[in-house]
Amino acid sequence: MKVIFKELLLLPVAAMAALTISLLVGQSSLSESLPRVETNFSMAAPRTVEDLTQRSITRDYGQAWENLDRALSSNSAGLLSDYFVGPAKTGLASAITSQEKAGIRSHYLNQSHKLEAVFYSPEGDVMELHDTAQYNLQLIADGKTIQDERVVLRYVVLMTPAADRWVIRQMQAVSQF
Amino acid sequence: MWSSMNTASPGSSTFRTLLLLLGLVACLTQASPAQGEGPRPPAVVVAGTDFSVSTPGSGKATFYLVGPSHSSKQQIDLGQGIYIKGDEVLSAGRYLVVLCAQTCQSAAFYVTPAGPASLTFLAHPSRVPVRQDNAISGVVFPLDKFRNLVLAPVTINFKLTADRGDSSSRLVRTKDGVAWLRVRSGNVTGTVQLVASTGDVSVRRVVRQVASDPCNLRIKVERTAKGIVVETEPVRDCSGNTVPDGTIVTFTKIDGAGKSTVDAPIKQGIARAQMSAARQAVISVASGVVMGNPIRLSE
Amino acid sequence: MPKATLMKSIVSLVIFAITAGLVAIGLATPGHGGGTLGITSGSALPGLKPAAATPEQALGYLLTDVRRQDWRGAHSQLANASEVDEVQFTKELAGSGGNLRSLSNLQRWELNPLHETNDDAQIRATLHWATAVGQIDEVRDVRVVHGEGTWKVVWPPPHFPNVPEQIIPVNYLRWDLVTSEAGADEDWGGRNVDAPRVRIISMNAVDYQGGSVVMGEVVNEDTVPAFVNVNAVLIGDQDHAIDEESSFDKIAHVLLPKQVSPYRIDFPHVALQQVKNVHMDVKATLVPASADPVIGVMDQKRETDALGRSVLHGTLLNESGQVVNMPHVIASFYDNNGRVIWVSDGYVDHALYPQTPEPFAVQIPRMVADKVENYHVVVNEYSITRQ
Repeated sequence: MKVIFKELLLLPVAAMAALTISLLVGQSSLSESLPRVETNFSMAAPRTVEDLTQRSITRDYGQAWENLDRALSSNSAGLLSDYFVGPAKTGLASAITSQEKAGIRSHYLNQSHKLEAVFYSPEGDVMELHDTAQYNLQLIADGKTIQDERVVLRYVVLMTPAADRWVIRQMQAVSQF
Repeated sequence: MWSSMNTASPGSSTFRTLLLLLGLVACLTQASPAQGEGPRPPAVVVAGTDFSVSTPGSGKATFYLVGPSHSSKQQIDLGQGIYIKGDEVLSAGRYLVVLCAQTCQSAAFYVTPAGPASLTFLAHPSRVPVRQDNAISGVVFPLDKFRNLVLAPVTINFKLTADRGDSSSRLVRTKDGVAWLRVRSGNVTGTVQLVASTGDVSVRRVVRQVASDPCNLRIKVERTAKGIVVETEPVRDCSGNTVPDGTIVTFTKIDGAGKSTVDAPIKQGIARAQMSAARQAVISVASGVVMGNPIRLSE
Repeated sequence: MPKATLMKSIVSLVIFAITAGLVAIGLATPGHGGGTLGITSGSALPGLKPAAATPEQALGYLLTDVRRQDWRGAHSQLANASEVDEVQFTKELAGSGGNLRSLSNLQRWELNPLHETNDDAQIRATLHWATAVGQIDEVRDVRVVHGEGTWKVVWPPPHFPNVPEQIIPVNYLRWDLVTSEAGADEDWGGRNVDAPRVRIISMNAVDYQGGSVVMGEVVNEDTVPAFVNVNAVLIGDQDHAIDEESSFDKIAHVLLPKQVSPYRIDFPHVALQQVKNVHMDVKATLVPASADPVIGVMDQKRETDALGRSVLHGTLLNESGQVVNMPHVIASFYDNNGRVIWVSDGYVDHALYPQTPEPFAVQIPRMVADKVENYHVVVNEYSITRQ
């Protein structure tokens, strides 16, 4: 009987060790994971996307997701300001507030995005993009991982030009395009 | 159960290792995707509507709802439906419900936008020269009352009304949540009201149609006690529209004293400048890239 | 008396005696104004001036009082004080009516004798004024005469325009900008008033005194006024930016429809050889503006000034009824191909009164003076009474 108790005591210790290892692994990949963005602007209409704009969209969209991950994993709404405006910013800020209240943190790890421009306005002041995103969604509540899955999601995104970059104004996950 | 296991292999080191492995597996199971029967949300929910999520089993559990702009946590009794209020699912997108008892199980569902409640209407340019092809553009994004982009096709009615009452309209169906059009600017100056509407929602924008560059600049010179006054005839574009007041007209006089220039704004259709008198002088006029007739002054 | 106390008293007396001796020497010995920086000229104490032994000293004493803003002291040193009204003299040197001179202070000067006899001398004074818009240099030829054992300055009696009372009808034309109170995020698409359409119509980069100068002209092609700023980025090897600068005050910032302004951007520390490319960027924003005042630039002519420099001079004529406190002249110079080869600017330190001509001059550098075929002058105006 004493032996059994010893084994029972070892069980939570092992579990804790495994949990710690899994969290550490998650954190190290968090700092390493820079979003990979592949873009296709050939379908954009009615205006052709300028070379400079293509480069800017690719760079800024990746940066936006990088900031999104950092903001939601640390519950810091301030990190959203650089690349999100309008409904996208207010929605994410509200997500951070309620996440914090519920004791949740979200990680978007190992991101890759396939971005396709579907609409570029005649005046060049808004672009609609379809993103097929893949990432590891990890939810941690009260220090415990409650969800860890590799997901493939589709996003409809509206981006608008700001002073020196393109920013996300609307971002909505959809079941299909 | 444990005692029977104990009798089966008492003090065995293999058993100890097995138990450790079991512990690890149990722990990793917690952090892996939900297995077996989990929470059952509806497949699709319309933004802002109440719904419930059914949970299997019995006992106590923690229920998490994680969405694009809202997350919540509550303690629940398993086996009962969990009622979710509409104000927890205002943003369209993918939501996760996670149920954690000994292990965590999850399910995803999508919230779709409600019907169009407002329109984002981008109309450009705000000032446009008359008679220009595809010069005016309008882009419309229908949004629901929670500012979600409505992706289901919506018919937008674009209506253009000029100052003089001339109007035209065009129906455009949204694709991927956007409808747009391009039209030619009218022949006369003035404002054009651009209205986009769907159902009982409408948005108005104003585009000002302005004259093009001045055409046939003509001046006349009048001698006064103080010198000479040079003024243009009413400045119009090539379609006969009056060039907007404030447009700069440059008068230049070259005489023995040198070159004199006055940048004078058009006021009430005419630009005017006062210059010193000279026995002999050449006076010319320009506005932007357009030159007018030079006048030679002599005694 | 204790020994220590006695020593202290002796030391105090010695220090007092030395100080008094030095003050007496200082007062008795005149300064050395001629050909040197004016800041070292003049007497140490106001009202205790020794007789000027040289013409340079006389002018140095006068300018020292001007620097101290002791207008009465300066006026009392004039040879023709009875002919020069003290109020007018003060107005000339201290400025009035919010003009640039009223926001200036004489910092230093250089004196160069042109000729001198026993009782008459001519001195060229270069006065360096610190002003609200930076340093401004003024060159004056001053006559100094000898009489009653001292040299004194002859100051030409100042003449100020006497603007007659009159009514000048002005049909004011102005543009007001109405902005929505809602934030930009909340009203996406609601703010559909476009920024003014502005275009750079010419650009030229030249080497100047070891640095680079980028210049040209910009036009407002729109039908509303624009607030304009031109920026240039110098690109060097491997496409990296060497330096970035804006046109600052070398542009007419508020451009009415179809108005053209010169611009100039200086990079004093970047040699043109280092520059592979220049990225130009013009920023235009909507701005409330008025179409008045209209300022004519009359009788423009190229000439050589007293220092042998090539200058464009002329007169400014304010055709409106409003006083312009600080006129700022910007001139672009073209070669025979119509290319902008230089842009000069200068502030006029007198206000422009309605219908009253005011002279101006801007310098043309020696390196381009021979190539100048034509020029275009615009006038920026700053008025205290109007925003």
